[in-house]
Amino acid sequence: MRFKILATALALGAFALGLGTAQADEKLRIGVEGAYPPFSWKEADGTLKGFDIDIALALCEKMGRECDLVEQDWDGIIPALLAKKYDAIVASMSITEERKKRVDFTDKYYNTPAKFVAKEDAGFDATPAGLKGKVVGVQRGTIHQCYMEKMFPDTELKLYGTQEEVFLDLGAGRIDAQISDSIQALEGFLSKDEGKGYAFLGGDQFDLECHGEGAGIALRKGEDDLRSSFNAAIQAIRDDGTYGKINEKYFDFDIFGAGT
Amino acid sequence: MDTVIAYMPSIIDGTLMTIALAVCSILLSVVLGLLGAWAKLSGSRVAQNIGGAYTTLIRGVPDLVLMLLLFFGGQTLLNQLGDATGLWGYVEINQFAAGVLTIGFIFGAYMTETFRGAYLAIPRGQIEAGIACGMNGGLVFGRIIWPQLVRYALPSFGNNWLVLLKTTALVSVLGLQELVYNSFTAGRSTRQLFTFMFVALVMYLVLTAVSDVGLRWLDRKYSAGVRRA
Repeated sequence: MRFKILATALALGAFALGLGTAQADEKLRIGVEGAYPPFSWKEADGTLKGFDIDIALALCEKMGRECDLVEQDWDGIIPALLAKKYDAIVASMSITEERKKRVDFTDKYYNTPAKFVAKEDAGFDATPAGLKGKVVGVQRGTIHQCYMEKMFPDTELKLYGTQEEVFLDLGAGRIDAQISDSIQALEGFLSKDEGKGYAFLGGDQFDLECHGEGAGIALRKGEDDLRSSFNAAIQAIRDDGTYGKINEKYFDFDIFGAGT
Repeated sequence: MDTVIAYMPSIIDGTLMTIALAVCSILLSVVLGLLGAWAKLSGSRVAQNIGGAYTTLIRGVPDLVLMLLLFFGGQTLLNQLGDATGLWGYVEINQFAAGVLTIGFIFGAYMTETFRGAYLAIPRGQIEAGIACGMNGGLVFGRIIWPQLVRYALPSFGNNWLVLLKTTALVSVLGLQELVYNSFTAGRSTRQLFTFMFVALVMYLVLTAVSDVGLRWLDRKYSAGVRRA
């Protein structure tokens, strides 16, 4: 009986919390992924770490806003922004034409090239002819999927929910190659035991329509004030060296990339 | 192993969240199931149709679709409604509430059939005998129907509970930090996805094993006075 009361109280409390309170605080809520090292990951004690997280916090500080980080699964990261679960996404999201139809972007805050990874002795080239009929793994809904579909129509694509699963299947030999962000591939696979015997295949892959200008912060459409304050803050942390310090913490080269 | 121990608090938190989610959902589903069974068995044509529509419709829609619809679609609708009427600014449908509502709602449909079947298994004559002895409706329900309803419903209820327990894993796509979400986040953060998938598997096995013990105890309690084959 006591259990029943406890459980009922629990249920009622949960609903009250869930549906009852309207919140109208001034805090800026930022959506992050938390499962994309080295850009964002979760420590054992539950704290979020990574390049994206540091950049988000630095930007908040520059804008003089208090921020809450909200974790969200990648698949629901844009729907949750549109449903106002948070106000901005700082999750290594590449600026693309496709996404611009649904959200607005700030200026880029970094831009790293995409590359293929395959066995060292793969015996094929990173060209449409070389990859014809081969199976290439790619994370679903990313710029890499767009790029593969456009430039490599004869290649069989295998889509995954997360980048980690792409690496697992590459290591298991289920796919011939994979395409992803080069840093992601280096840190998440090539530099680890599982990545032994694998290497980058070919050079940087780039197509402006798919890859866009780099990773930016996504906002709901029409929030121009927020966008200009983010842009100003990005410029400010570039200028005062904060960006450089965060960059240095995670990478031994400048990941801001060419251009402004 | 060290990383698993380091992430254990987060896994335990996730497990507790999974339990809370499952318990709240099953309570909701039992309430809806009893209501549904009552509607389907009642003499009223309207109630029968509503009950029939509920079980047919809900059992035909994938859990995940309904969940995403409520969490993202429901939120957008709520926001637009608030904007249009000016009555509220932003009311959050949180992941827990969305999870409990959808899972409870879906399993309520299965529970409806469970309870309806159990009720029909009770010999009519017993209920008539109760009425003949001068019992009112409440007394007939409390003394004759309920104890037997539970006994007949238990096997199917146990089934539903075990399926429901594992269905809670779906709520991880909404970002609720339950067992699967926390295990996968830990797995991706440490780049040891397999290890943490295995941890999640063990935790689910523990939960189902404990449930099994509980269900068997309930079965014994409600089968008192029935000869075992």
